[in-house]
Amino acid sequence: MAGGAKSRSSGGPAPPSKTLVLDNGGSTIKAGFVAAGDNADKKPRVIPNCLARDRHKKTYVASELDKCKDFSEIDFRRPVEKGFIVNWEAQKEIWDREFFYDKALQKCDPASTRLVLAEQPNSLPALQSHCDQIVFEEFGFASYYRGVGPAFNAYHDIQGIFRTPRAPNTPVNFPAEIILLIDSGFSHTTVTPILQGRPLHQAIRRLDVGGKLLTNYLTRLISVRHFDMRSEPYIVNEMKETACYVSLDFKGDLEKTWKGTRGERRQDYLTGSAGIAKDYVLPDSHTRFHGVVRDYEPSVSARARKGVVVSTEDILTLRNERFVVPELLFHPSDIGIRQPGLAALVMQSLSVLPEGLWPGLLANIVVVGGNALFDGFVQRLQTELLELVPDACTVRVARPEDPIVSTWLGATNFAKHVHADRLAVTKQEYEENGAGWVARKFAAGLGVDT
Amino acid sequence: MNNFGVIEVASTKTKNAPGWAYVPDIGPSPAAAALQPTNRKRAVRNQTALSLSDVSARQDTKVRKDLEALDRDIHRDANIPIPPKPGAGRAQNKHTPNVRKILQSQKTFANHLDDYQALLTLAETNPAAAAALANAAPTKPAVPSTSARNSPAPTASGGGGGGSSGGGGGGSKRSAALAKRAALVTAKEQKEAAAAKKAAKVKSEPVFEAEHNTTSGNNDGGDVEMTDAPPTSGPGEGAAEVASKTTPSGSATPTAAAVSSGSSEPQLQPVLPPPPETWYQADGSMLPAYKRKPPVAHPGDNDPLLVSSRVPRFPTDDELCALMTAPPLSYLEARAGWGDEEGRYPVRTFCEVCGYWGRVRCLKCGARACALDCLQTHKEECFTRYGL
Ligand SMILES: [Zn+2]
Ligand SMILES: [Zn+2]
Repeated sequence: MAGGAKSRSSGGPAPPSKTLVLDNGGSTIKAGFVAAGDNADKKPRVIPNCLARDRHKKTYVASELDKCKDFSEIDFRRPVEKGFIVNWEAQKEIWDREFFYDKALQKCDPASTRLVLAEQPNSLPALQSHCDQIVFEEFGFASYYRGVGPAFNAYHDIQGIFRTPRAPNTPVNFPAEIILLIDSGFSHTTVTPILQGRPLHQAIRRLDVGGKLLTNYLTRLISVRHFDMRSEPYIVNEMKETACYVSLDFKGDLEKTWKGTRGERRQDYLTGSAGIAKDYVLPDSHTRFHGVVRDYEPSVSARARKGVVVSTEDILTLRNERFVVPELLFHPSDIGIRQPGLAALVMQSLSVLPEGLWPGLLANIVVVGGNALFDGFVQRLQTELLELVPDACTVRVARPEDPIVSTWLGATNFAKHVHADRLAVTKQEYEENGAGWVARKFAAGLGVDT
Repeated sequence: MNNFGVIEVASTKTKNAPGWAYVPDIGPSPAAAALQPTNRKRAVRNQTALSLSDVSARQDTKVRKDLEALDRDIHRDANIPIPPKPGAGRAQNKHTPNVRKILQSQKTFANHLDDYQALLTLAETNPAAAAALANAAPTKPAVPSTSARNSPAPTASGGGGGGSSGGGGGGSKRSAALAKRAALVTAKEQKEAAAAKKAAKVKSEPVFEAEHNTTSGNNDGGDVEMTDAPPTSGPGEGAAEVASKTTPSGSATPTAAAVSSGSSEPQLQPVLPPPPETWYQADGSMLPAYKRKPPVAHPGDNDPLLVSSRVPRFPTDDELCALMTAPPLSYLEARAGWGDEEGRYPVRTFCEVCGYWGRVRCLKCGARACALDCLQTHKEECFTRYGL
């Protein structure tokens, strides 16, 4: 318990043996317990972080949404805004039901539990303080650490992710020596260089493009070109997740999906744009509650255009919508956002660091967050980076098996690591020293090792 | 961790063409100007000049409105009330005043950000007023001894750090902002301390609760009292430089740390933390020698011509230490800007109807279309929007 506070050494309670690990995201909460001796690989529960109301005015809180079948015209209220917990009225209700009520699915007794909570980098001090106060004063956790989410990813077997050749049974040391962590989630996309588990704060950079904006953009495109989907956020989001991809040849793909001039359709276009065109069958709220992606059938869409009813299915054909949407991560200026794309974002981050660190960082880029699941994301990032980095640099980009729960998994490894004891704060320390002290201790982080 | 397999690993060194492309365009257009890579600076300037014209102004407005809409939570902000608790009649915990205030707050992220920026601005123009505002605690002021310990450093060290050496573009702007924030810390600290004390008191003496209710009501600048980033702003800037100058052997600070965390003072300052530097150095003064693998050796390592350019020097321990202990940036400082460097990406324009390249422009509103087909479609919409 190096670095432990005096209150603890003077007879304070031992740290709780159980830790609740929460990655409280804008779209979903990743939640699960970890205990000191745990070795088994675990999976978190992924809980919708929202209140939802369907078109029959029924309200669902968080995991109750699993019981919802008909998502048409569903509305959401989210406690997290821009990646940070802003509305505690809603967030507390969700936590209460998931963790603290008698019938909670992951029932937790805060008085004997440590909380490890992942937060997005560069939060506002007021919001951090709100969070700390609620954790101690409302829920009464025995012990608590709030840390930058990306940094928890350093507590992974990073070289395993990269399949770096090594002798079998080579011990894995946490945290990883050096990684460049890209987290592209619901709210935004961040780049965080991490040395020995310490995020290099001065070099963290954010691009304000995340999954929410992409879904909104797809909604707009479809509503302009096909039919009004503005009250169907759930359906469009699903469409985005199943049908969109990051193009490795944007110019070429755009060419293939162009209809041509003056009414005469180009051959490419008619035959399905070399496989890019896909038919998307919308849910009908009776027999089909989720959309389905199908190969493009020219005859079907031709008849549909002429108003011939071929079936009861609502089908829309997706063409350039499939790749211009994720393209915003690499070219935010396409819709007028005055920010650099992801590759340049990485370079901006590196530019404030000594060049001696670049090779290590560029050779260990890990991408997490839901947007990393787009096909082509990893390759595109790598291709663009190779254009920008010095010639001598190797660029390696890897995506963990499940990028959505990667931060949570890292945080569970962290929770078992000695670093957790070093960084966590007890309820008693909070009461003695106040919220400001806690905030400063968290912000200071690990410091350097002896 | 063992099931932490890989789906994709890309590590080839192939250099493909990057994903952007140039588009020919009809009419005066920044994108066209950007065709000459050497002209990119001018292209950016042209763009601003163009935006003065009516057509571009319309287009700018539209882009801005569109972006605002895309930023909103999906479609509309639903005001869904919290449904009644399951399993009725669970006794409601009594909230502390802090918690009650937080739960009742209807502030959005934008509100919070505005509050924070306003405080920064005030700190810049009128530090005294900012301090007063931040310090306007309704209850007793903080323990007097706190100010003595905390006041000296922030502004001075912040101002001194000015031009960051390690930083590229935007670095100095960021450190300037850091300096500004540092000015706030002292004042906030006191208020925070008071608030924390308050919280602790409420627990033991219920009598106080009523008093706090009323006071917290008229103190709805409430968030002002929240903590700031650690007052380490000074050391953080110009990382390498500062580190090597101020902490060559960890001489002064560790001693100070030892004193402040020692047993002589705790009762005097129950709400005050030791200066943040002590966090870094509590268990040792300096980063140990870097024992792990150095960067891969290169045959040209000793070639004087190559040493500085081809194989970048690995940072010294002092530099690494400074990097690893630098404080977080603020929300806006971390937002990647559209620097001059990014001028190399030509702005691409697309047909607003079908999404193909926007090769022709509507003369009325500046919207783009790919060809006559789509332009015709657009004109119908344009007519409804702007008339004529
Ligand atoms: Zn068009
Ligand atoms: Zn027009």
